[in-house]
Amino acid sequence: MLKKYVALAAVVGAMAALAVATPSPAQERTVKITAFGAKSGVVRVFGINSEAALKAAAEVINTAGGVTLGDGTKAKFAIEFLDDRCNAEEGISVIRRIASTDAFIAVGPTCSNVAESLFGILQKKVGDTSDTGLQFPIIADVAAKGGLAKISEWSFRNVPSEFEMYKSLFAWLKTQHPNLKTIWGGVEKDFAHSNATFGVIKQQAEVNGFQILGQSEWLLADTTFSTQVREMKRANPEIVAISAHPFTTCGVLKEMERQGVKPKLLIGLTSSSSIETLQGCAKQAEGIIIPTSFAPVTPEAAKAAELVAKFGGSADLHSAAAYEIMFILKDVIEKQKIMARPDTVAADRVKMREGLAALKETNGLLGKIGRTADREAIKPFLYVHAKDGKWQVLFKPSS
Amino acid sequence: MDFYLGLIQIIGVHTLLGLSAYCVLHTGQVSLAQAGFFAVGAYVAGMLTVLAHWPIVPALLVAGVVAGSLACAVGFPALRVKGLMLVVATAAFGEAVRLFFFNFNYQLERGGFHIGPHGGEGFRQIRYFPEYGWSTLEVAAFIWVVVVLTMAALWWMDRSRAGAVLRAVGEDEVAAQSSGINVTVVKVSAMTVGGVIAGIGGGIFAHYTTHIEHIQFGIVLATFAVAYPILGGLSNVFGTLIAVIFIQGFLIEGLRFMGDWRNLLFGGLIVLAMNVRPRGLIDAGTITLVKRLVFRSKERASA
Repeated sequence: MLKKYVALAAVVGAMAALAVATPSPAQERTVKITAFGAKSGVVRVFGINSEAALKAAAEVINTAGGVTLGDGTKAKFAIEFLDDRCNAEEGISVIRRIASTDAFIAVGPTCSNVAESLFGILQKKVGDTSDTGLQFPIIADVAAKGGLAKISEWSFRNVPSEFEMYKSLFAWLKTQHPNLKTIWGGVEKDFAHSNATFGVIKQQAEVNGFQILGQSEWLLADTTFSTQVREMKRANPEIVAISAHPFTTCGVLKEMERQGVKPKLLIGLTSSSSIETLQGCAKQAEGIIIPTSFAPVTPEAAKAAELVAKFGGSADLHSAAAYEIMFILKDVIEKQKIMARPDTVAADRVKMREGLAALKETNGLLGKIGRTADREAIKPFLYVHAKDGKWQVLFKPSS
Repeated sequence: MDFYLGLIQIIGVHTLLGLSAYCVLHTGQVSLAQAGFFAVGAYVAGMLTVLAHWPIVPALLVAGVVAGSLACAVGFPALRVKGLMLVVATAAFGEAVRLFFFNFNYQLERGGFHIGPHGGEGFRQIRYFPEYGWSTLEVAAFIWVVVVLTMAALWWMDRSRAGAVLRAVGEDEVAAQSSGINVTVVKVSAMTVGGVIAGIGGGIFAHYTTHIEHIQFGIVLATFAVAYPILGGLSNVFGTLIAVIFIQGFLIEGLRFMGDWRNLLFGGLIVLAMNVRPRGLIDAGTITLVKRLVFRSKERASA
């Protein structure tokens, strides 16, 4: 009897030893990617969409086997998303929190004003020993104000160039609608992105020979727009260009309908080419033209949109950028042989930065994305317009 | 470690903001103008270090003087009104300051780049600390030297005749006036001192965030400024510090892991704290209790 037990114990022991010695499942590791952005406040939807997109992309990568680390082991991505409430101070605190862990990269933020501060606390020039700024790579998915990555050599972005988008759009409008001459501008003045982009819109409109009759201004949290729309009505413009996020864009469009303002053409801000605009004011937004770097027009983009929806978000130009970032990170981790171990954190951060800075081109949902020397993206884009409660592709400019 | 030092910096700057409101609250006035003075300090100090290449200490001193002078100028007309009217008047002033910076454009060209305040887009690259090689620890230490000096000065003031006069005006304005105290001078002085502290705090804020814009100095910041000393208690300067640690350290940073629930809890916990401790987290009773405990332990030690 005793012999039987001893034999059984020996077999169990041998199996246990074998299980411990078997390399593949035991060596599978997890690489946590921490992202951050606004998940509360007026622009919370951007954070929710980004988180969903990052998780969707991580699932695709993990299902395909994960990411190969520098020592040859396979790792799965895990996503953590922290809320910075679109507040610069909180953003700084969040990035310091992430940088105090084993993280070798962070993805975010949502708001350009947060990005301004965050990129400001990073070391400006790599290797400048007199600059004590934080040495930690950040890649932004949403913060869209022009030229932000210039602030630090540790900052990167995968956001489209709005300058190129509106330059192309106004040149196209000039050829498509030669009879339209006058424009009225509307701007959400207190938000860095919409305010800065409005400057681009005005400049490109003038360059292409449109006459700007004037502009109405409002704030991100405003809910009444009667005075602004009255000014617009008085000017009787042929085109109305609104540089505002979905919430106030819808408010203005509804007020325009109420006051009977019917321009021949409506132009919107890139960020408004989202589901939120259609949910808020599909009828009033009918016909609005917006340049965007995302539409489900390729098989990859359609699949991404489906997956992002599965994770509780919606795919738009911002969340699509987050989705693409995960694949960029996978490629850089593999190319740079990132070890992702606590003892290699400092080296991994440097390698990650170098890898991102060396990129000349990445894969995007609409095609190849170029990378500039100042760490910005040159993304393919198209013009969409709201039609029958959906965003439909109006024109795809040749890049 | 860097994260905790960063948090210590935030707590220090917000303590200065809270202490600026603490001075005014002593005279029984609620001022929502502190965010405005904070903004003035931030822009003045930022412009001096970035555009004029001043060292940080003189830049902060000038920021304090400018904000204090503005507070003094605002104090005379604003303090003629009382109670809710004063709240409205000071809130309007704060908004006016914010809108001024919203439209304020003063940029210089340096090396092909435009630097300086740029209206609604803000004022970027206020990078004095990293550019001059200050570590996070050194910045935190610098901020806390300023905080400790300010707290010590206010502690001394609380125990001096000036403090007694401030409290007298705050407790009963008519009685204070009938006993020969010039109420207007007292109120304006408190407003001025509060303005100086807010200006210095704003100057430091601009340098650790590296980018400032009008939206940061709105009504939310003004409300926080008043909430710190009210929540912490007006018995002494430590109440404000405790309230800042409670809000910035615990409610904002400590509960970040709770995600969306954090905002809901944030308001709920403040309401709970004010119900449990209606006279502030550190009130006169707490101080008496602490004194008794210290006294007893000394007695035991001597026995």
